Amino acid sequence: MGVVVPVAVLVLWELCSRFAILSPRYFPAPTTIGWVLADRFAAGDLGSEMLVTLTRLAFAFALAAIPAVPLGLLMGMVKPVRDVVEPYLAFIFPVPKITLLPFLLIILGVGEPAFVLTGSSSAFFQIVISTLAGVQTMDPRLLDVGRNYGAHGPRLFWKVILPAALPAIFTGLRLGLGLALVTLVAVEFISAKSGLGHLVFRHWQMLSTPEMYAAFALVGALGLVLTRGLRALQARVLTWQEDIGV
Amino acid sequence: MKAPGRWLAEHWITIASPVVLLLVWEWASTTGRLRAVFFPRPSTIAAHLFDLALDGTLWTHTATTLARIGWSFSLAAVLGVAVGLAMGLWRPLRDGLDPVFAVIYPIPSVLFLPMVSFIVPAGDIALVVTTAVTSFFLIAFTTTHGVRQIDRLVVEAALHYGARGRRLFTTVLLPGALPFIFTGLRLGLGFSLIVVVAVEIVSASRGLGALLWLSWQVLKVEDMYATFFVIALLGALLSYGLAALRARLLPWVPDVGDR
Repeated sequence: MGVVVPVAVLVLWELCSRFAILSPRYFPAPTTIGWVLADRFAAGDLGSEMLVTLTRLAFAFALAAIPAVPLGLLMGMVKPVRDVVEPYLAFIFPVPKITLLPFLLIILGVGEPAFVLTGSSSAFFQIVISTLAGVQTMDPRLLDVGRNYGAHGPRLFWKVILPAALPAIFTGLRLGLGLALVTLVAVEFISAKSGLGHLVFRHWQMLSTPEMYAAFALVGALGLVLTRGLRALQARVLTWQEDIGV
Repeated sequence: MKAPGRWLAEHWITIASPVVLLLVWEWASTTGRLRAVFFPRPSTIAAHLFDLALDGTLWTHTATTLARIGWSFSLAAVLGVAVGLAMGLWRPLRDGLDPVFAVIYPIPSVLFLPMVSFIVPAGDIALVVTTAVTSFFLIAFTTTHGVRQIDRLVVEAALHYGARGRRLFTTVLLPGALPFIFTGLRLGLGFSLIVVVAVEIVSASRGLGALLWLSWQVLKVEDMYATFFVIALLGALLSYGLAALRARLLPWVPDVGDR
């Protein structure tokens, strides 16, 4: 059942485009796009552009996650740290992170560090906030039970706090990865000269629409695989978590 | 309402932290420890903000951005809630559209700009429609979920008491889904701001995103910071203002996004 509608849409699009009900110049037939996709992959350039985007994503995600998780945990456990950092989180979190791009471009120059860090920033704030929420919303009874059984200091952290916060941390990482991808592709579209986002932009400007849709479809597939894959991973690894949420 | 003295005692660090940061920044950039080209003094930025506000530039751009957000959010909200309710109530539609949503939703909205500009006239309309895309999916998705999570027992009880059709919809299904619809709308509004700024950077000559990008291109660094401040203010207003509004208008409705 789930495949009927997408297939129907594609068939309808194919027919409309073939019989020029939709302008094939702007809406090339899905089969044409499919051939271009296969062709470009065979030629290797689509694969290498995708690799560029994935490499940026890996760096952006690592640069966000490595400081964000400890910071979120620290904020959750030490109130003064939370009080100091909270106003910045509250101020920056709702800001579109793409606006940080021009600042990073003037400070770091036009290049990879600025692109990657813009992607990082959107993941960073999400991960900090999810991690913090994970520590703050943990059942206080868990802490009491842990203490009653003599756990304190590092032991309490490793045995009680971290496992309790882990589902929220994982959710933060998952959302953060998605945000980093979205921001990175937008950065590529706006200002980089490589990557899938730039590919969409370039082929739009040249009006080579089959290539444009091919790159577009690849971004969609990438997003789908990452979000679905991580959800499946989360359900499998964190079996004690009841609800994964949206 | 607590006494102001106690409130201050609890929150003084939260207030002191940005003040200290701004003072250190001011000092560092005056004494040249921070390069003033990249990090102009906060007082200079404030002066530029003031100038931009006085000569009207800021208001025109802010008004443009706000109008675009208003249009695209309305578009996304009306279509999103309608489609979301239909998907929640009618299973074949849900089964059919779910996979389509799953593929389209993670795609960054800016990428829709080329396609949208093939269909509708380029310029403001394309910008508004592009901005509406992600919010639409978000709102439709949350609304569907809102209808789906309504307790079957409640629906069955309503059916037994003779609620049908419109009555069932307005007295049971809609109120039941409302918390989720509201969360969807709040998130959708937040997304509208994010996307509108991104699309303005790419394609507009007016609006806060455009102002930020143009200031970068001519290296008016102070104007960049001033514009950033306004965008951040708008973001805070949209997200925290809306949360406060809900707490006041719909106190019985929990915000399911607060997790």
